[in-house]
Amino acid sequence: MRKGLDLLYRVSGGIAAFFLFMIAATIVAQIAGRFFGFTIDSTESGGFFLAGTTFMGMAHTLKAGNHVRVSLLVSKFKGPLAWLSDIWICLFAAFGCGYLTWQTASMVHDSWRFGDLSPGLLAVPFWIPQSVMLAGLAILTIAFLDELFLVLGRHSPGYATPHETALDGIEEGE
Amino acid sequence: MDILITTGVLGLALIVLLGGGLWISVTLMAVGYLAIDVFSPAPAGSLLATTVWDHSWGWALTALPLFVWMGEILFRSRLSEDMFSGLAPWVDRLPGSLLHVNIVGCGVMAAVAGSSSVTCATVGRMSLPELQRRGYNETMAIGTLAGSGTLGLLIPPSIMMIVYGISAQQSISRLFIAGIVPGLLIMALFMGYVMIWSAFNRGAVPPADEPLPLMEKLRRSRRLIPILMLIAGVIGSIYGGYATPTEAATLGVFGALGLAWVTGALSWQSFTQSLMAAMRTSCMITAIILGAAFLSVGMAFLGIPAALAAWVSGLGLSPGMLLVLLTLIYMVLGCFLEGASMIVLTTSVALPMVVGAGFDPIWFGIYLILVVEMAQLTPPVGFNLFVLHGMSGRDMWTVTKASLPFFGLLVVGVALCAMFPGIVTYLPNLMLAR
Repeated sequence: MRKGLDLLYRVSGGIAAFFLFMIAATIVAQIAGRFFGFTIDSTESGGFFLAGTTFMGMAHTLKAGNHVRVSLLVSKFKGPLAWLSDIWICLFAAFGCGYLTWQTASMVHDSWRFGDLSPGLLAVPFWIPQSVMLAGLAILTIAFLDELFLVLGRHSPGYATPHETALDGIEEGE
Repeated sequence: MDILITTGVLGLALIVLLGGGLWISVTLMAVGYLAIDVFSPAPAGSLLATTVWDHSWGWALTALPLFVWMGEILFRSRLSEDMFSGLAPWVDRLPGSLLHVNIVGCGVMAAVAGSSSVTCATVGRMSLPELQRRGYNETMAIGTLAGSGTLGLLIPPSIMMIVYGISAQQSISRLFIAGIVPGLLIMALFMGYVMIWSAFNRGAVPPADEPLPLMEKLRRSRRLIPILMLIAGVIGSIYGGYATPTEAATLGVFGALGLAWVTGALSWQSFTQSLMAAMRTSCMITAIILGAAFLSVGMAFLGIPAALAAWVSGLGLSPGMLLVLLTLIYMVLGCFLEGASMIVLTTSVALPMVVGAGFDPIWFGIYLILVVEMAQLTPPVGFNLFVLHGMSGRDMWTVTKASLPFFGLLVVGVALCAMFPGIVTYLPNLMLAR
């Protein structure tokens, strides 16, 4: 179970990173196209890959402790109070994210039912990129639930990973 | 219900959730949901999904992950060492000597990294031990670094400007260009201060090394020059109108990959590491932007920004007083929020006010970024202070005291920009006029 979940976050994070690379790739194609005189419009594809990066990367980012929160007050909490506040935020976030996932599912269903197309040259059916959003949010909901059960079981959750963006590279560089 | 009471209720919900340690992006969405579901007849659930989706694939936003990635690639090359050895021969003869390496190095790094704590950490990693070894005054070494680190937000390409441009629906190209002159101004203020300080404290600065011939200077900075050219190319292509910020960022990414490849710093491992790190940072910022987008929709439904703007203009404050008031509010916010959250959270409310008072939205963006820079230097949550506290091993109080003069200089910079708005608006207007 633990291994399966960690694999899920790693794979979705990897897909997100691949999408980020694809943003750059489609834009290079656009620039090259302009240079050689044929039209490639990456305004839409770039945007869709960006959405893919954002949503597929959510769970991985949460687990790596990168999503920001104000811990000025709660970091002072000790013992049961700290435990309860951790339970409360995980519960709230899991519920909220589950609700957003459900709403997204009905949005994707509508896009599919009405055959909505993207407005640009690509005219992609909207439900395709929106499904990536749905998948990413579903994984994020799982990740929040995972964090909740970790806290309940008195394990340390992923979002509490000590984290300082600026110092990452220093440790790795040396 | 009175709209100010509604605003108060929403503000209270925001403070309680944020203070309770809930993730900022989740908090923003929750408060937005509360606004629509309780105080308006609109269907909050379907609006939530469609708003989040609509804002997640905007073209302008694609520049953000790419610039973050470019910084991550260069950050993993030997930039930090190159910065010190490459800059030292050029500034050695100035009064204040190698202290200027901190300032100029941060200025260069700022263009690469676009985030102030990264700027601070990258330059300081090499220069703090070097300056200490040569016997420089430690307070000044820490202070210059803390102050100049904040340039990361101002000198383009800056992540904060993309965040502001998205939230305020302003041209990111124009914001980038608008940041150039104020960025140089702040650098000049810092360097001027170091020169004057060293004139009064002659003993505190070790004598300069023997002057080097020009070719030797060039040889020592040979690895720095390609980076400068890459930055000039990225900014120049935006200024000249040859590329959108996103295209310029893509060129920057491939340029950075090329440089890393030539210097031998590029491996499959460093490539994937930089990509994953960029993905995480971009995810974090985008999540806040999406949360704020939904909150803005909620507040716009209730007419809160317009009502607050009308209320403020009813107070009869002069534009100057409004700015002073806003600056104080941002200083308080800066005590517990980091930069991106401050910008997205306040833009939709503050922008109608300041535009109503006759300020230019581009000018306000630069002002906002300067104020956020100042917030990086205020305890208890000044990120640059944290970074330097960690790197120098000195306590927070010493670091704060060392950076105090530079905080003062930032205030001077903001005041100058307020008195002479042309400092900000001249270049972008010139760009538009062509």
